[in-house]
Amino acid sequence: MPHDPYKALYLHLPFCVKRCAYCDFATAAVPADSPEIDAYVEDLCLQIRRKAKEGELSAIETVYLGGGTPSHAGLSRLSMLLYTLSLSMRLEPDVECTMEANPESLTERMVRDIWALGVNRLSIGVQSFDDEVLRILGRAHDADAARRAVEAARTRFENVSVDLICGIPGQSTESFEASVQEAAHLGVSHVSVYPLTIEPHTPFDAAVLSNELEEPDDDVEAAHMEAAARVLTEAGFARYEVASYAQPGFACRHNIAYWTGVPYLGLGRSAATMTQNAERRMRMQDGRATDDLDARQMAAEDLMLGMRMSQGVSDAQVKQAEALGLAADEAFTELSEQSLVVHENGRWRPTERGWLCGNELYGRLFDLA
Amino acid sequence: MTDPNLIRNFSIIAHIDHGKSTLSDRILELTGTVAHRDMQAQLLDSMDIERERGITIKSQAVRVDYTADDGQTYQFNLIDTPGHVDFTYEVSRSLAACEGAVLVVDATQGVEAQTVANAMMAMNANLEIIPLINKIDLPAADPDRVRSEIEEGLAIPADDAVLASGKTGAGVHDLLEAVVYNIPAPTGDPDGPLRALIFDSYFDPYRGVVALIRVVDGSLKKGDRVLMMATGTEVLVEEVGARRPAETAMPQLSVGEVGYLVTGLKDVRQVKVGDTITATARGVSEPLPGYREAKPMVFTGLFPIDGDQYEPLKEALEKLSLNDPALVWEPEKSHALGFGFRVGFLGLLHMEVIKERLEREFGLDLLATAPSVEYHVYRAGGEMISLHSPQEMPDPGEIERIEEPYLKAKILIPPDYVGAVMELTTARRGTFVTMNYLSPTTVEMIWEIPLSELIMDYFDKLKSNTKGYASLDYDFDGYKPSKLVKLDILLSGKPVDALSFIIHKDKAYDRGRMLTEKLRGIIPRQMFEVPIQAAIGGRVLARETVKAKRKDVLAKCYGGDISRKRKLLEKQKAGKKRMKNIGSVEVPQEAFMAILKVDD
Repeated sequence: MPHDPYKALYLHLPFCVKRCAYCDFATAAVPADSPEIDAYVEDLCLQIRRKAKEGELSAIETVYLGGGTPSHAGLSRLSMLLYTLSLSMRLEPDVECTMEANPESLTERMVRDIWALGVNRLSIGVQSFDDEVLRILGRAHDADAARRAVEAARTRFENVSVDLICGIPGQSTESFEASVQEAAHLGVSHVSVYPLTIEPHTPFDAAVLSNELEEPDDDVEAAHMEAAARVLTEAGFARYEVASYAQPGFACRHNIAYWTGVPYLGLGRSAATMTQNAERRMRMQDGRATDDLDARQMAAEDLMLGMRMSQGVSDAQVKQAEALGLAADEAFTELSEQSLVVHENGRWRPTERGWLCGNELYGRLFDLA
Repeated sequence: MTDPNLIRNFSIIAHIDHGKSTLSDRILELTGTVAHRDMQAQLLDSMDIERERGITIKSQAVRVDYTADDGQTYQFNLIDTPGHVDFTYEVSRSLAACEGAVLVVDATQGVEAQTVANAMMAMNANLEIIPLINKIDLPAADPDRVRSEIEEGLAIPADDAVLASGKTGAGVHDLLEAVVYNIPAPTGDPDGPLRALIFDSYFDPYRGVVALIRVVDGSLKKGDRVLMMATGTEVLVEEVGARRPAETAMPQLSVGEVGYLVTGLKDVRQVKVGDTITATARGVSEPLPGYREAKPMVFTGLFPIDGDQYEPLKEALEKLSLNDPALVWEPEKSHALGFGFRVGFLGLLHMEVIKERLEREFGLDLLATAPSVEYHVYRAGGEMISLHSPQEMPDPGEIERIEEPYLKAKILIPPDYVGAVMELTTARRGTFVTMNYLSPTTVEMIWEIPLSELIMDYFDKLKSNTKGYASLDYDFDGYKPSKLVKLDILLSGKPVDALSFIIHKDKAYDRGRMLTEKLRGIIPRQMFEVPIQAAIGGRVLARETVKAKRKDVLAKCYGGDISRKRKLLEKQKAGKKRMKNIGSVEVPQEAFMAILKVDD
């Protein structure tokens, strides 16, 4: 179908040194020297070249190398990938280019080289600065390695993000708060906070089923999420999305693209692509359509995704949805009666409760179409 | 006309799972009635549910020809009876169509409650009983022990019990010979006025109601005008024949024969099990003995989860009752559940089977409320109300007394479990009557127990408290006065009619407390706090609270997560749809089921 240009590019590197106990992502534990990774990266480069030739990369404004663990692919493969990318699209400093890295495989050398090759944002999978918690999660690094990785990243990168997980069984509120404090003190510009979810068919799932692991407690997770919001706000971060906090100017543009109906191209195994025009929005993954939405469903989805962010949705956007026949006004009024949303300065925004009980809020908007 | 001396009418009776149906299949196979390649395991159980549960719900009658060792060809009519206490009356009518019965006892399990009950019924019907010890191919088979159980427990000589295996076919020939020599040929007046017993009926969409009958006197053929004496219905016989096992038309059914009769009637209620058929002209005036109306014992509200399914539910009930005269229903309205039906069943199994068929065969999603029995409520003026639903309960001030149905229950257990059964059954308001040792390994206990207690998962509890050894059989034992109250469950301060039930006063407090606790675990956290209360009249007995939801969000939502997220929201929506909105509280279906399960 004739479609709007892609603005965001996602490159997937689905390899890790080991699988963490909670992980259900499309990734595999593969030794760093495996020829499988070579073949995969070569193929990915070929796909980048092909898309470039087709003109699909000409409007890309953000790039995200995600995983798996991209840093696990090693410097030489990453160099080849970034070099190919720089030949295939405009990779200037104004293009946000994020790479994910894990402490065990992010070296100072890697930090220097990928920075030189055009990566300008590093997202580090720290998860916690507490050794005991890292052990429970089955991570491949300890807290010291995490600190060193963040410090190494900071030698070149101004824009460094860390991921933290909360609500982990065995993780006290003190431990979680200390990790948030530490991230802030290490001078990162961005923090993502995710409550732990037990995904089916993971070791955690098996452990919960056999009563070896307690199920994460919603009340504890809520308390942790509130603690993160408090500590990070005090440290000068602004919460711009339910799980995302940034210093001024450091919100992740690539992620915002996902939440604002911006088309994105995903390359690599299990990477999702969103293609759209004014009438239709499709998501594809591994050659299969996972979503096929009409204009009404698109409008409802935009409202729903918009409400993940602190900026919420504008009156104009609500009006557009109404024009498509969605009873959006009524829905927002109802949601505000439940204190899930609030109307301010011409926009509907989620409240703290709207963030914590997001499924109620998103579900109501999802039902519009 | 077949010489009655060459006819043998018999039934196979057994405790559940003792291999009756498999044995019937072998008989069909060995007599060449059904070719081996056409065998479908347990051919006579034609409904999916019957095959899955290994039980028989409808009676069947199959005619087979057997050329015996004496060179004569006999007409065998094998009548397969329902295998559950819910259908005791149907069983008794099927037996009345026979002269003999094969009593199947599992060589590993021995005599169990329904072995005894069925043998008693067969003896009451004056049937010649051939004991058969089945499953002798199993390593754990102990025919000697079983033989002595049959002799000591049932007082049936078992020296020459047939040893057989339905699975391998061993002993089936011996059985067929035993049928020829031990079971008497039918007697009756071939030239007398017609008398035939209806022992089952079913609805055929093309031919109307078909009755399974046993001709006692006289004969009947296509074109005869006959009268069903209890209902007063007259019909022109459209066809007679026998099932072998496909329906095969015959010129006539004569004295002693078993077969089917096509009535062309549209309502199965006009053809009642136990009724007598006679000729319209030159008929008899006295019907055959033993007729009674099938009466529902257990009532439950059935509500479609989706309100749009009310009409389809009604149509489905109509369709099922075409074939099931024991199924009765009337519309019921619940504030909590909307429009549905109060449905009466012969027993709990009947109820489960019907609910399952409604869901499976008609694609309905149903909610069943707590089963209730028929209470007799006497008002101050002496007027009696038959109460089928807690909702109909008058104000306590207007009630003079309430009576509830009692059962006489017979429980068979190994002696080690006497204490466990005492404890459980006393807790269920049972009154101990007597106890007999049937054999050194089997004790028979007789109890009087309120039906309402029995339907509250008593049987499951009995089984688990006796490691599965207990077997249970019961008979209706009349109405007795009882101190009963209506217990209400309130959500957010409002009574939920579909969760109300009638209970003995002494148990109301414990049950109320247990239920509120259970509901607290079942009702998911909502956006607001939900108090759960149990109350009698205005008096609150127990209270629990479902705390308001604090967190319900999946934080990660990037590229591919969005499709996943949509799926989750769709699932959430479907989940909500399966819940009932009561006021603003979303109540999952398990809440309504919770009432059925009681932890003592």
